[in-house]
Amino acid sequence: MTLPAVDVVVVGAGAGGGIAAEQLALAGFQVALLERGRKQAFAETGHDELRSQRTTVLGNAFGPADDRSVRQVQGPDGKFHEVLPSEGAYNNVAACVGGGTHSYGAMAWRYFERDFKLKTSYGAPAGSSLADWPITYADLEPYYTKAEWEIGVSGKAGANPFEPPRSKPYPMPPLPMNTEASLLFPAAKRLGWHPFPIPMAINSVQYMGRPACIGCPHCVGFACEVNAKSSTAVTAIPRALATGHCQLRTDAMASRIVMDAQGHASAVEYIQGGQLYSQPCRAVVVSCSATETPRLLLNSANKLFPKGLGNRHDWVGRNLQGHSYAGAYGLFEQDIFDGLGPAARVAACDFSHGLPNGLRGGGVIANEFIRLPYLFSRQSLPPGMPRWGVEHKKFVRQYYKRSAGLKSPIQEMPVFESRVEIAPDLKDSYGIPTVRLSGHRHPEDAKVGKFLALRCEEWLKEAGASRTWLSLPGSGLSGGQHQAGTCRMGNDSKTSVVDRHCRIHDLDNVYVMDGSVHVNNGGFNPSLTIQAIAYWASAQMVKDLSA
Amino acid sequence: MELDRRLFVLTAAAMPLYAGPAVVFTANEAALITALTDHIIPADDVPGALAAGVIFYIDKQLAGPLRRYHAAYQTGLARFEASCRQQTKEAFLELDHKTQSAFLQTVESSAFFNMVVDHTMQGFYGSPEHGGNRGEASWKMLGIEAVMQGHINQGHKH
Repeated sequence: MTLPAVDVVVVGAGAGGGIAAEQLALAGFQVALLERGRKQAFAETGHDELRSQRTTVLGNAFGPADDRSVRQVQGPDGKFHEVLPSEGAYNNVAACVGGGTHSYGAMAWRYFERDFKLKTSYGAPAGSSLADWPITYADLEPYYTKAEWEIGVSGKAGANPFEPPRSKPYPMPPLPMNTEASLLFPAAKRLGWHPFPIPMAINSVQYMGRPACIGCPHCVGFACEVNAKSSTAVTAIPRALATGHCQLRTDAMASRIVMDAQGHASAVEYIQGGQLYSQPCRAVVVSCSATETPRLLLNSANKLFPKGLGNRHDWVGRNLQGHSYAGAYGLFEQDIFDGLGPAARVAACDFSHGLPNGLRGGGVIANEFIRLPYLFSRQSLPPGMPRWGVEHKKFVRQYYKRSAGLKSPIQEMPVFESRVEIAPDLKDSYGIPTVRLSGHRHPEDAKVGKFLALRCEEWLKEAGASRTWLSLPGSGLSGGQHQAGTCRMGNDSKTSVVDRHCRIHDLDNVYVMDGSVHVNNGGFNPSLTIQAIAYWASAQMVKDLSA
Repeated sequence: MELDRRLFVLTAAAMPLYAGPAVVFTANEAALITALTDHIIPADDVPGALAAGVIFYIDKQLAGPLRRYHAAYQTGLARFEASCRQQTKEAFLELDHKTQSAFLQTVESSAFFNMVVDHTMQGFYGSPEHGGNRGEASWKMLGIEAVMQGHINQGHKH
């Protein structure tokens, strides 16, 4: 069925797509915002650890359902195996209004100046496709500020001496400290480091009509009970809808971008309720995450673009990356758990850059979100601890409230061979060809990871931990909820997919706004950067459409 | 007959906690899995997996989100029993507790046992709404029942 034309179709109502829809609708354009998932109410998932975004053992709380989708992932044996959305290897983000922001931890970081110039700063190691971004921190700064004020970020400007210059303070003060952070904060100072409160896209006070955080322990991995956490489902998307120019269509799975004979995108086809719709438009924004965005571009191959949209030089789907998490755990002999969420409250950027021995990049170190009991029982055990039985139960009982974790998301060195491609012989429940994932991390990541893990351990020991152990990143394919890199931004159309304003190089009306465009992924959680780039790219898109 | 009696005792011990008939497991299977969960999270001065009704979590979820593991339970249980008979000349439920423990040490690295461990932890530490963690046994053990019910902590620092 062919629908009446709109100006823009935005595919994906997550971090990037929510912002794009809002900005285009505010500029007066007619927008159709397609989302394969649903708008989810808090009550649907509640505070259930086993159906959260952290522990999907009983299914993906925020989609997609296991009977909706499937992918293939290459195993160590070189063969591709089918994986379901609730399995870790699937590399899921989410499928609901708000996308990953609906259940994220909401750390709201600005990447550093050097994160945009990693190649110039460190040189690319052999086997890595590392490059500088075509934009700088200074280009993006006004849009980081816009993001912080539009979605609502709490933090303390100037508290992190390593942070690059900012044009405006945070709109809200930081969230209150908790017992664990109060112990860690002075310990970092004693080490000569520079701890500061983590900037969070969570209201510390009432802001833009949404209440302050109530401090519940179910934060990362859950929808927010009171909408204090800034999912685009409660920030940008309602504002887009309020303009009267944006229609949100849920359970709408995009299958193809239709190109006309001149090579312009002319419509997006999608499936909703078993029916195929064609939505004619003047321009398309693809915001489906670093796995599903390349899937849609590759599935849109036609006579003019036989290898898929933007894929003339085989860069779509390449450089799949995420974050290698390095860290340490520590046990204490007094209770440090106070149940106050989100618990991740203190960080230090002393090792974000400039590590010794020629190590490239680094990462912020931050204390962990509250670990709920099931995950604690499985993943917070010291080496040698039995995984079941009397001793295991004693350990969980004794240390659940006496354990802390520090983690660092380190910049991964991009690997060209780590990729998303269309699986030759597999379709999802809509009948749309799905993807297969293959590749590995660069060996550099493990070295940087070890260095950061040791710093985490040092910090825990200084804070009084009686026993500590390291948590080191693996060497397999990365991605996960921080997935990025598969539609790289660049000036050279031969070595990238989109230009500096996120428009696909050889197309004049298709844009990508999500983590796919990241050249590298910074040493930080990426959501604020995804949203800042969406503001930056939307501003240019408004000009392009108005021309 | 002796085997039947023990099965009856084990299932009977768990039955009062259960709201309905077994969904997936036969009585034999339920008795054996119940015994395994009892070793995985034993009772001490507070309840373990048995009293927390972990078997009912596993049974219920194998008919739902965990249904893809059902076949692994059936084949795994058969192999487990065969291996037990081979090593000890007895059925697992016929062994005394100490001998059971010793046998479990020999199979603890198997995929089957790891699966049961994982599902037992889910059933014990997860939300009671899924059939396990009866009476919020694990949350009470950890002293977090109020926090887990969503009560706001009042003692935090500003």
